[in-house]
Amino acid sequence: MSSAAPTRMLESDRLPGLPGPQSGLRTSRRIRIAVAAAALWILSGIYIVPPTEQAVVTRFGAVAERRVYPGIHYSLPWPVDRVYRAKVNQLQRLVIGGDPADSVLGRTQPLAAQFLTGDQNIIYMRVAVQYSVAVPADFLFRPVEAAKTISSAVEAELARRVALRGVDAVLTTERVAIQEEVLGAAQARLNDYGLGVRLSTINIENAAPPPEAADAFRDVASARADTSRIVDEAHGYANDLIPRARGEAMQLTESAQAYRQSRMNEAAGDAARFNALAAEYAKASEVTGTRLYLEAMEEILPKIRKLILDADGNVDLSIIGKTGQK
Amino acid sequence: MPQYKRYYPAAAAFAALVLVWLSFFTVKETEFVLVTQFGRPVRTVTDAGLHAKWFFQSATYFDRRLRIYNPRPSEFLTRDKKNIVVDSYVAWKIADPNRFLQTVGEPVAAEMRLHDIVWSGLSAALGTHDLESLVSTAPAGVEARELLDRLTALTGRAALQQYGIDVVDVRIMRLNLPEQNKQSVYARMRAERERIARQYRAEGEEQALSIRADADRQKEEILSAAYEQAEKIRGAGDAESTRIYGQAYSKNPRFYKLLRTLEAYKKVLDDKTTAVLSTDSELLKIFMKGEAGAK
Repeated sequence: MSSAAPTRMLESDRLPGLPGPQSGLRTSRRIRIAVAAAALWILSGIYIVPPTEQAVVTRFGAVAERRVYPGIHYSLPWPVDRVYRAKVNQLQRLVIGGDPADSVLGRTQPLAAQFLTGDQNIIYMRVAVQYSVAVPADFLFRPVEAAKTISSAVEAELARRVALRGVDAVLTTERVAIQEEVLGAAQARLNDYGLGVRLSTINIENAAPPPEAADAFRDVASARADTSRIVDEAHGYANDLIPRARGEAMQLTESAQAYRQSRMNEAAGDAARFNALAAEYAKASEVTGTRLYLEAMEEILPKIRKLILDADGNVDLSIIGKTGQK
Repeated sequence: MPQYKRYYPAAAAFAALVLVWLSFFTVKETEFVLVTQFGRPVRTVTDAGLHAKWFFQSATYFDRRLRIYNPRPSEFLTRDKKNIVVDSYVAWKIADPNRFLQTVGEPVAAEMRLHDIVWSGLSAALGTHDLESLVSTAPAGVEARELLDRLTALTGRAALQQYGIDVVDVRIMRLNLPEQNKQSVYARMRAERERIARQYRAEGEEQALSIRADADRQKEEILSAAYEQAEKIRGAGDAESTRIYGQAYSKNPRFYKLLRTLEAYKKVLDDKTTAVLSTDSELLKIFMKGEAGAK
């Protein structure tokens, strides 16, 4: 600039009709304006990348800096460099499919939510995809519509996985497996496309049978509940029956034990009594025998009817029968 | 010197600027540039950055980014004569700007061509496959992936040669059944559910019955085992008492006989009994004969 200023001054000096001091003033003002404009132009290359973002700098269209981290930075001003920003730390979300409830109300297209399972059942699914920008340069410059690309790839992988499984598996046990497989496969596909995106989660938010068959599906669920109820009741029956039987068994054996003990005790008692009697009998066997006999007779004879006959007398024994009939 | 001559340098500078402007062009990361000279393509620039050309040449810009084309879902017939609605997408981008410009010119026209290629490809591919090879719970029989890989390769070759398009991928986004078939599918689904519900209930019943039967069996087992044990115990008690009695009584069998017989009389003889007693009997001898009877 310093070399340009004197030549300008000379040029203005040559101009006729203009007073020297005034022209000098105008020239220096022009220079100052030019310097200020140039300074502003150079300063316009300063830019700030906020903490949630990363930036890509292109020089004449070509990528000069693939990844600029948050902070204050400088790039060459327009039209040389251009700064593109991408929100890398922010998870972005898109939804595939919809609700059967919505389709009944006509809010979404039912077709968008319908998937065909491996056993040729139709189910409704809604899947949420969360992704973030992994490589800003790729994400910004590779696809025309990143979101559409992602949702198409995820949807294709999802449909393929669902088409390999039965409806029950999709609705219940295999959900997590499907999510993981789709995440892996869709990520690989997007990597092939060079999209610079990282899928963080794929979440089956809703998987439901079509409204046209929903009641039948509910009946299966209630049948399952019925089954477990019936089985529980049977277990209850068994749990009631077996301890009772055990108690009864215990009672049986215990009473048998009691019987055995009482029989043995009785026998021991009887034996002791007999032994004692026998000892006394041995000392005076005839008297004791007679005494025992007579005592027994005393006890027995009063109860019974008696006919006393002479030892050699003959008796018509038919009277016994007659008296017996009375 | 004429007055206007002092504007010469400015005019020259302006002309030079225009010339520079016309001699350089930038190519963005997202673009291809086709340099044409009076309408005739001269060269294709695929590298992003600043490039030079003659001022009389012009640059045509093409978007080189990946595009997703999603044809309208259409119905196809499988080899086993089943209708199926296929919703697919084609990921594509311009690979050869020169050919692309000459044959199709713009993305919308390209998508129409892609639609035709993909439609006929899908139609041919699905016509040689059964529905079971696309949709099945037996993963071994499913060839959807191979089918699509082949279709991608085939479509890609045709599109690149004819239109300068790079078909990156052809995928089936969704398989569905035609609307008119759906009611019968729902009916089949309902029937299947009813069968499953019945099966669940029957299985529950089966399980419950077997649990009950098992409980009943266990009860019988426990009780009969207890009976066995109880009888053994009782038998042991009887045996033991018999042994004790035998041991005691065998010391004096005569006395036992006397004692036990008298004992038995007490029980056997009751008020219905009529005894005919002889005066000769042990009891009445004295009754008849007096003291002499005692001998």
